[in-house]
Order: sequence, then structure tokens, then C-alpha cells
Amino acid sequence: METAQPHAGVHIENVSKSFGPEGARTLVLNHVSLSIKMGEFVSVIGPSGCGKSTLLKTVAGLIDADSGTVMVDGMTVKAATKNKMIGLVPQSPALLPWRTVLDNVRLPMRVNPKANANRNLRDPREILESFGLGAALDKYPGQLSGGMQQRVAIARAFVFDPSVLLMDEPFSALDEMNRDAQRLGLLDFWQSNRKAVMFVTHSVPEAIMLSDRIVVMGAHPGHIAEVIDVPLPRPRTIDVYATDEFRDLEGHVRETLREVMGQKSA
Amino acid sequence: MSTTDTSALAVQSATSATGRRFSPLASAKFKQNLRWTNWAPAVITFVIAAALWQITAIANPYVIPTIDQVWVSLIKDADTYWANMLVTGLEVLVGASSGIIAGFILAIIMAEFQVMERAVMPLVVVVMVTPIVAIAPALVVAFGFGMTPKFIVTALVVFFPMLVNSLAGLRDVDDRALDVMKTLHASRWEIFRDLRFTGSMPYVFAGLRIALPLAIVGAAVAEFVAAGQQAGLGSLVTIAAAQANLPVTWASIALLCFMGVVLISLLALVRKRVLWWSDGAAVGR
Ligand SMILES: Nc1ncnc2c1ncn2[C@@H]1O[C@H](COP(=O)(O)OP(=O)(O)OP(=O)(O)O)[C@@H](O)[C@H]1O
Ligand SMILES: [Mg+2]
Repeated sequence: METAQPHAGVHIENVSKSFGPEGARTLVLNHVSLSIKMGEFVSVIGPSGCGKSTLLKTVAGLIDADSGTVMVDGMTVKAATKNKMIGLVPQSPALLPWRTVLDNVRLPMRVNPKANANRNLRDPREILESFGLGAALDKYPGQLSGGMQQRVAIARAFVFDPSVLLMDEPFSALDEMNRDAQRLGLLDFWQSNRKAVMFVTHSVPEAIMLSDRIVVMGAHPGHIAEVIDVPLPRPRTIDVYATDEFRDLEGHVRETLREVMGQKSA
Repeated sequence: MSTTDTSALAVQSATSATGRRFSPLASAKFKQNLRWTNWAPAVITFVIAAALWQITAIANPYVIPTIDQVWVSLIKDADTYWANMLVTGLEVLVGASSGIIAGFILAIIMAEFQVMERAVMPLVVVVMVTPIVAIAPALVVAFGFGMTPKFIVTALVVFFPMLVNSLAGLRDVDDRALDVMKTLHASRWEIFRDLRFTGSMPYVFAGLRIALPLAIVGAAVAEFVAAGQQAGLGSLVTIAAAQANLPVTWASIALLCFMGVVLISLLALVRKRVLWWSDGAAVGR
């Protein structure tokens, strides 16, 4: 693990962002600051429209903040994307339907190949096999279930060994049974490939299950209301759900969310 | 514990997906297409239309020919029809392919450089709202009675639907896939190569579906205007109609129609090969 590096991970400082035309701008992010250390799993949770995706997109280099800075491993986001240091898992798998599973996972290698030098590229086959997709390498996305497609999308984000992983509600389209399996699969994989992870979710149990810290955001304008530590020991298994610590944490997070939502309606 | 749980689920979902292959579905669909409930309604419509035609033709011998008169003409002068059909076919082939290629290439340029759309699109629209029937004689004056004006008219007619559809297709990319590409710092060329080009194909084929029948219209109209010198089914129609030769007129029309059907069927075949991934449930969207 490279926790020794002083700048490793994500550093968001005082980021503000407004949308809309001149004169009718709405503030979506208001002075947001957040650091995610190398190897740390941070979930972001909050009411719909509070700016979670916007925050994630500023870290991904898809949106420029109006003010404030975002640094990834001590570099600007722009430099970080140039070096392919950011893996993105969007809300839908967003696979190319005309390419096989294997070719979809190879995409990050094919694109921007200059940044492939000096990095620990993984074998796409191996990574897919470890995701339980060994039998699906030569299938097309249309032949896979939603859960399998999402796993391919995660494999695509891991395969080029980025230092930061950004996931925007990757499991939200799946049914509850499937979601649990995907969470545990992700956790399993991440446990042996510790990246800095920013994970946007609407599910409290999901956030607790996966994270080291949970960032609760409030809306109007989007801000960080509270950061909750999740001191549950790792590796975590499905048994965590049944523990008292888990239930206490769940109560705490839900209470914080209620406060945040209450503010909104007041 | 967690590991065994996930892998068990993974294996389970993997096998369930293996059972869901493409081929059984495809062959089931094929069988379904062969079922009489699928083709019978169309056949009945055609039979009724033919019967009505025949009755009208017998009652009005100077308005339309009977089907058997047309058939006799087709057999008797098969060589002439064939030669004329080849001429029209060549016009469609050359005109349509140049119009298709030009439309697609201009669409790529416009999709990549917005300025180009703003600069060129108004001119394109002006040309396209000008009635093709009016342009054709002007082109004959300019280029003579040879093949050139026919190629140009056909290409013009095809160009616009290809341009508009291809442009829409190149623009309508999966935003989330685009986000993934941008986070990898993909160049514009890489985004085009890996995302836009193939992604635009459903629209391109929708454009072709409009453009190909129009290509035949373009070729026929060009021949109407420049009839006499060069052959072609369109010329044949005008000449025969001027002589009130009903069987030849309608035989030529029937052959133009036949060409259209052949083109559309070929297109459907190619579409199936190229766009297998876009049929059925949309993937990843
Ligand atoms: N490109 C944009 N232009 C204008 N407004 C935008 C844009 N993107 C986001 N917004 C607005 O910013 C606010 C925050 O959006 P964002 O997508 O970040 O919310 P979110 O927290 O991810 O919500 P959800 O949980 O529903 O995904 C919303 O009010 C949205 O309407
Ligand atoms: Mg969102």
C-alpha cells in the first residue's frame, strides 16, 4: 500500500459550482471540501439533486468547478485524466453493445495508449474471471444480465490500474438480491486492490457495508452536512448486517439524513 | 463466506445467461415469420388489389392495361426492358453511392466541427427545398443528355436524408459511455472510432431506408427530363405514355417498382448483418 505518499488520493478543496444561464444561476455545490486517502473507501449519500453526481463529475474531469481545487495524487484533474489515473463506473453499465465483453474491458487500454507506459495494466481475462465472468468473455453485453453487465463496467474501470475509482450509483438498477452479491463482489475485489474510492449511493446499508467513511450531503445548495466514520473491521462479510454496530451506524446515518432533509423542507 | 456467496451467485447467473443464446431466439423468430398468420394478410391484400385492378382495366381499356397485357409485354420485349433496367440501375448505383458517401462524410465533418454545420447547413437546406423536378432540366442544359445529370440528380436526392440521419446518429451517443471515454482522456478520433461511428449505424440505416427508394425516384425523374437520347426505365415510361402505349408504360413502372423492392430487401439483409446488436432491447442505455 502506498499510504506513505503525502498527496496520494483525492483532495477536494472549497469546490463551488453553479449551473444555469447568467443571472439565473443556481448554486449546486457550496464550498465542498473532502479528502479521500489512498486505499480509502468513501461513500457519498444524500437527497436527490443535492449535487452528488456533480461532485463526482468534477473529480472525473467531466465538469469544471467554478472555484476551488480538485487534486488527484497531487496532480490537477486534467493531468490525472491524461495519465489515466481515474476509473469511472457510471450509473448504467454504458458498455458498447457491438463489442464482446472482453473487448469492452480492453477499451481503456486501446484509448489514450500513451498513458499505458509504466503502469501495472491487468490482464482483462484474469480480471473478468475473478469477477465470475470467465464464461462470458466472448459474449456480447446484450446476452448478459444487468448485474453481469455492471460487473463488466467495474472490470473496465479496474483493468488499467487507476489510482482513483469513481462510482455513481453503480448498483441502483439492480434488484436487492443481486445488489448484495455485487456489493460483496466489489468489496472482495477492492480488499485486494485498495484504491481510493468515491462511491455515490442512495442506500444506507450499502454505504455502511462498503465504506470507511460516509459523507452525508445536504441540498440547496449542495454541501457536506456530516462525515460519519465506519469503524467496522475488514474484511467484511454478509454477517455485518446482523451486528449491533451496524444497526447503530444505520440509525445514525438515517437520523443525519432526516435532519438534512428536514432542513430542506423548513 | 462472502467469497463463496458471490461466486455461487456469479456461477448461477453465468449459466442462466448461457442458456439464453441468440440462435434459438433467431430461429424461433424465423419460424414465426413463416407462419401463415404472418404472410397471409399481405398476400390477401395483394390478391384483392390485383383483382380490383383487373376489373377496372377490363372496364376501362384506355385508362390502364390488364395485368396479362403487361405480362405479355414484359416477356415479348424482355431484352429491351433488361437493357433499360441496367441503365437505370447504373444511375441508381452510381448516384446513390456517391450521395450516401458524401452525406455521411459531411455529417462526420459537421458532427466534429459545429462551425461547419452552421456554415454549410443553410446552403444544404436551400438546395434541398428546391424541387428536384425543377433542377433536373437545368442540369440537362448544363451537362447534356448523358449520364452525368442523372448521377447528379440521384445523388442530390439521396444526400439530404443521409446527411440528416447520419448527423443525428453521430450526435446521439450514450452520454455515460462518452463520460467513460473522456475520463480516459480519449482523443476525438478515439471517440469517433470506438463510439460514434458504430453507434451512428442505426440512424444511418434509417437514412438508407428513406434514401434508396428516393434514389430510384431521382433516376426516373432525371430520365423523364432527358428522355430520348439515353435509355432507362424512366425514359421508357415517358416515351410509351406519349404514344399511349399502356402495356409498355405500366411494364416499365412495374420494373421501377421491382427495383425498389430489391433494393429495400438487400438493405434489410445488410442491416441484419451490421446491426444485429441494436435490435431488441437497447443495451447499456
Ligand atoms: N448540466 C447541468 N445543467 C444544469 N443543471 C444541472 C446540471 N447538472 C446538474 N444540474 C442540477 O444540479 C443539481 C444537482 O444535480 P446532481 O445530478 O449532481 O444531483 P444528485 O445528487 O446526483 O442527484 P441524484 O441522487 O438524483 O442522482 C440538480 O438540481 C440538477 O438539476
Ligand atoms: Mg446523481
